[in-house]
Amino acid sequence: MAAQDTSAERSESDRLQKGGLFAQLKRRPEMGSFLVMLFVIVAIAFASNGNAFNALGLKNNISIISQFGIIATGACLLMIAGDFDLSIGSMIGFAGMSMAMMLKWGLPFGLGEATPFMAFIVTLMMTLALGWLIGTIIVRSRLSSFIVTLAFLFFLRGLTEVCYRLINQSTQISGLPNFRETSWFADLMGGEVFTWFFDIWYSLGGNINRAGNQWVTGFDARFMWWILIVALAYYILSRSQAGNWIFATGDNAESARANGVPVNKVRISLFMFTAFCATLFAACQVYDTNTADAAKGNLKELEAIAIAVVGGTLMTGGFGSVIGVVFGAVTFGLVANAVFFIPAIDGSYYRVFVGVVLLTAVFLNESVRKRITGGL
Amino acid sequence: MSTPIIKTEGLTKKFGPFTALNGIDLEIHKGEIHALLGDNGAGKSTLIKILSGVHEPTSGTIYVEGKASTFRSPRDAAIAGIGTVYQDLAVNPLMSVTRNFFMGRELTTGPKPFGAMRMDEMDQITHDEMVKIGIDISDPSQAVGTMSGGQRQTLAIARAIYFGAKVLILDEPTSALGQKQQMEVLKTMMRVRQRGDIAIIFITHNEVHSKLVADRFTFLALGEVIGSGTKAELAGEDIRHLMAGGIELADLAGELAAI
Repeated sequence: MAAQDTSAERSESDRLQKGGLFAQLKRRPEMGSFLVMLFVIVAIAFASNGNAFNALGLKNNISIISQFGIIATGACLLMIAGDFDLSIGSMIGFAGMSMAMMLKWGLPFGLGEATPFMAFIVTLMMTLALGWLIGTIIVRSRLSSFIVTLAFLFFLRGLTEVCYRLINQSTQISGLPNFRETSWFADLMGGEVFTWFFDIWYSLGGNINRAGNQWVTGFDARFMWWILIVALAYYILSRSQAGNWIFATGDNAESARANGVPVNKVRISLFMFTAFCATLFAACQVYDTNTADAAKGNLKELEAIAIAVVGGTLMTGGFGSVIGVVFGAVTFGLVANAVFFIPAIDGSYYRVFVGVVLLTAVFLNESVRKRITGGL
Repeated sequence: MSTPIIKTEGLTKKFGPFTALNGIDLEIHKGEIHALLGDNGAGKSTLIKILSGVHEPTSGTIYVEGKASTFRSPRDAAIAGIGTVYQDLAVNPLMSVTRNFFMGRELTTGPKPFGAMRMDEMDQITHDEMVKIGIDISDPSQAVGTMSGGQRQTLAIARAIYFGAKVLILDEPTSALGQKQQMEVLKTMMRVRQRGDIAIIFITHNEVHSKLVADRFTFLALGEVIGSGTKAELAGEDIRHLMAGGIELADLAGELAAI
């Protein structure tokens, strides 16, 4: 029978059409966020008469984009493994307080003056320990990461304020000396990088201030740190064995465990990674401005999660992309900064935009998930 | 007859006062499909959990290739070459076929766990191993979610074999599948049987399926073996009778008619 012959030749695996290049691109998690980013770049370039992308505009935009990018990358990896971290913002405040306090009052336990490097290392040890503690509590208790990290959101913010008032009598530290001039480490965190970029721009006849001299000399150092974090996270997630474990943990932790994936270690490590990102964020801020205050990092955890979702990361875990988060961070950074370049608009439109884009992204992600799994 | 790859003698398992298994004797041979049949609660699940190292027996002995062995964990059983494919399959739908195949046992260059995965090599192995038992996936980077239930079973079976399983325990592999996919799984089992070096323990409710593929049968009821034998030794009617735990089908027909 002819009809039977054709059905025998058609195998089940052929039912998924590979499609052309466009159809394959549509299945990529970062596609939606890439299109949104393109739209935002064009819209802001027009609305600001190009001011958003002149030398100073570019530097300032990249600075806030890098801030978003650093914490969102951590949040993205954690979400792919199926967890949330709501303590990122409070961790930033805590780390900033810890570093600034050591720089002003010396190392704890009377260990003498703190160099910027020592202040960072001691702080990093504390934040990594906190990340480990959060992860361990979640893994052992089997409570949802949402509630445990919510507890740490309050706990760390409160602890930060208490420490400020107890030791410093004020919830701000300002007037620290400019450590960038004396410490290589402070310069690495808060100084300028990629100065060649603006030098070339100047030599090509742009990047000139009103006095006719070179205007901007370099990007903030956090740009370099963002690039390094993205490169590291991309390698780990997409190319390394640990990346496969992260996907497996977020997709179906039980089956991952049955196949020998150390699910608990993966989850705890990722909470330590978000703590690391928060500490890096704080270090760049402290050594850039030489100030700290208790409110630093407020609401950053929610922005990090929003950026990760806009970047194509699934809320339920198991799927996402570091590159998508790069696009998401660019989008959020540009819109958050837009008010400086387009004076006519109200700065609160930023949050209106975040709400709309976030909701759109969640629907988009869901449809992408259905597409890659063939509608299951 | 060669030594059975797995032999159990007087396997008993008690959960407190409840006797789940009461003296099970079983012989599993290489290159054979051994159907394990029985109604719900007959003790099938307890038996496979003992064989796959999840539970330890209260008394009795398991011999692997003639040597008495104790499994303290699923890992021990896996090392002894017993691979279990559970109903929920242990596959992750959002991940690619290759990533699922090597999940937890990735091939890497460089130190664990941050070594780079040798993706091309893994794709190739996955493709070849799947072809060996009858599925030619065109794209190993497609998500497992796009595959049918039967293909997912095949993936789980291919994975267990590749990572050294000499005895495959398939826990109701054909239930929860459509007719065509059930046939796919049965074909996969026959291809594995063809190799000759692997034994399959086929747990099922389905009399028709077991008759199609199995070489040997063991029937459980209320924690005991109520019948066993090779395909040749058992007449067709016997299987249905034993499946129902010894209740005559005619009795059932009578009871139904009486309602």
